Amino acid sequence: MSSSRQIFELARRDFMQRAKSKAFLMSMLLTVGVVLMIGPVLMLIDRESGPTYVGVVGDLPPGAVGAIQEQADTLGVDVEIRQYPDVSAAEEAIVEGEIAAAVNGLDEVIFREEVSIRLDAVLTAGVANAQRETLAAEMGLSLDEVEQLLYPVFYSQRTLEPAETEEDTAREAGALVGLMLLYISILIFGQFVMMGVMEEKQTRVVEVVLSRVKPSQVLIGKVLGIGLLGLVQIAAIGGAAIFTLSVADVADIDLTNTGTRVLGVLVLWYLLGYAFYSFMYGALGATISRQEDMQGVAMLPVLLILPGFFLAQVAIASPEGWLARVASFVPIWSPMVMAVRSTVSDVPIWEVALSILLLVVTTYALIKLGGRIYRGAILQTGSKTKLRAAWRSATS
Amino acid sequence: MLVFSALTKRFGNVPALDQLGFQVHPGRILGFLGPNGAGKTTAMRCVFGLVTPDSGEVTWNGAPIDRDIKLRFGYMPEERGLYPKMLVGDQLAYFARLSGMDRKDAAAAGAEWLNRFELANRSASKLEELSHGNQQRVQLACALVHQPDVAVLDEPFAGLDPIGMETMAAVLRSLAAGGMTIVFSSHQLDLVSDICQDVVIIDHGRTVLTGEVSELRRLSPTRYLEIDVNGQPWTALVPGVETIETKGRHRYMLSRTAPIEEILQQARHDGEVTRFAFEPPHLTDLFREAVGR
Repeated sequence: MSSSRQIFELARRDFMQRAKSKAFLMSMLLTVGVVLMIGPVLMLIDRESGPTYVGVVGDLPPGAVGAIQEQADTLGVDVEIRQYPDVSAAEEAIVEGEIAAAVNGLDEVIFREEVSIRLDAVLTAGVANAQRETLAAEMGLSLDEVEQLLYPVFYSQRTLEPAETEEDTAREAGALVGLMLLYISILIFGQFVMMGVMEEKQTRVVEVVLSRVKPSQVLIGKVLGIGLLGLVQIAAIGGAAIFTLSVADVADIDLTNTGTRVLGVLVLWYLLGYAFYSFMYGALGATISRQEDMQGVAMLPVLLILPGFFLAQVAIASPEGWLARVASFVPIWSPMVMAVRSTVSDVPIWEVALSILLLVVTTYALIKLGGRIYRGAILQTGSKTKLRAAWRSATS
Repeated sequence: MLVFSALTKRFGNVPALDQLGFQVHPGRILGFLGPNGAGKTTAMRCVFGLVTPDSGEVTWNGAPIDRDIKLRFGYMPEERGLYPKMLVGDQLAYFARLSGMDRKDAAAAGAEWLNRFELANRSASKLEELSHGNQQRVQLACALVHQPDVAVLDEPFAGLDPIGMETMAAVLRSLAAGGMTIVFSSHQLDLVSDICQDVVIIDHGRTVLTGEVSELRRLSPTRYLEIDVNGQPWTALVPGVETIETKGRHRYMLSRTAPIEEILQQARHDGEVTRFAFEPPHLTDLFREAVGR
């Protein structure tokens, strides 16, 4: 029987046992359910933000309503205009919240509590444009002459750096959500590995397992089985997110595209980050055989990964800053920092490759180190094994 | 043949095994005996590489025990070692697959073993839902499910009721008859002498006695004499003969060639001799003599 088939059997058991547990299934279904709700909720919010209603009342120049509409379009404000017979009717409509503002003839613009500069501009400029046409006609001026009088100098605008697009915003939001999912997944599934190792030691079943397979196979099998479970969860949550965003038509840009990019980056760095931390968790799990000792031992990986979580948030704001760049090469942090950087900006391929290489090499060293600690500690009796004792007790 | 040769192991300053050596013959059952802390569990763990000896080795048919050979071995540890929340049937099939059986054979073998121990109806129960004795049966089934060539069983009878012991003993006998080589440790010496053809007794990590049970008894220089007079155990002092209490029985300890006629005469003097048993030592006696306590 090949060693890889044994590893497959070990991985399969760990995968199935956890996947079949009610707690896991429930939490996953719940999360996927919540994620699927995002699309409909966004659509609802979108619908809520419909047009702003404004009123007109009193003597207005001819074409005023059309001019207000035109002005609103120019300024990018979605307005709908209602006409009122008298000022008191318009005031009542404002107080009732039916309209946000009303223009009263050539005299005033009425608001409820606060003046909205935007609406004021739409209404007054609209009415002024209509009035200007009326006056120009009375004076016998052509529209061209009016234009020349009004705009003797015409400026064009130029920016030095590109403005943030909707795509950028979507990527940043995606990076933040992805970062949280990544951080939680690495920790949760890493701790599953630790718990699994500890339970096998506690119940002494590991002796029976080790009478058939090598310690390194047991650890690799466990890391693979539980890692695959994590991947399934990420795929389910990510897939649900992409599905719900693609169905909901909420933005002018293609959210599916951004979602796929986030998910791709997430899967890659989850695999790399999980591999690193799960072997650490596995080795630590072998040193304990009681639930009570787990808290203390589980702190070490958390302390290592936590700065990475914060550095990754720095990287969302400035992905090319020196802090983010340096942190994206440090193996204990790179899974999160590089994941974020390559989501929000276009990181040169060599930087990503170098970061992966460093992490893979470190992970390999950790597998050797963790494997030896696991081997030395897993069959030790007593509640807790010191790392040094485990190291010494493992032969080569 | 399974050979333990010159196994030595120290845990810190504590010697666990000291040049331990003995052999287990194919198709036979060997009882592995010794007082607590004699090194039995350590020696058994050495077979599977769970303990690496400082020197010496365990071989099977002349070859060191590698991965492939190990898969033809079955191991039952002293303390329970199974997944408490895993279903009994799944558990057996899993360990069978881990030993190289394919999916179908593994499931069939697991079911067959549950049948054998009359646990077929508990296949879909979690292990932790079973009684202590039934868990013990599953543990044994787990060691044997892949039809190993060699079974190394550490205290397989601990915690079983007499019926359970008898069932398990019958299973071991039939497996040995089918060619399986079996080593098991136990503290229940009566049981061991019932089941085993061979024994090895170890103390302080060293072999102190090894051989076929019947041979060892026959060749022992000691004999035990029990006499009842008028239906009551006869306990009179016989000059120059040692006595011993075993399980409440008064026994005379003699050499194989002792003049028992003289003792018989003396007993007859006291009344009607209703019982006269002159026997080689029981395994318990051999054990006591070997470990000197």
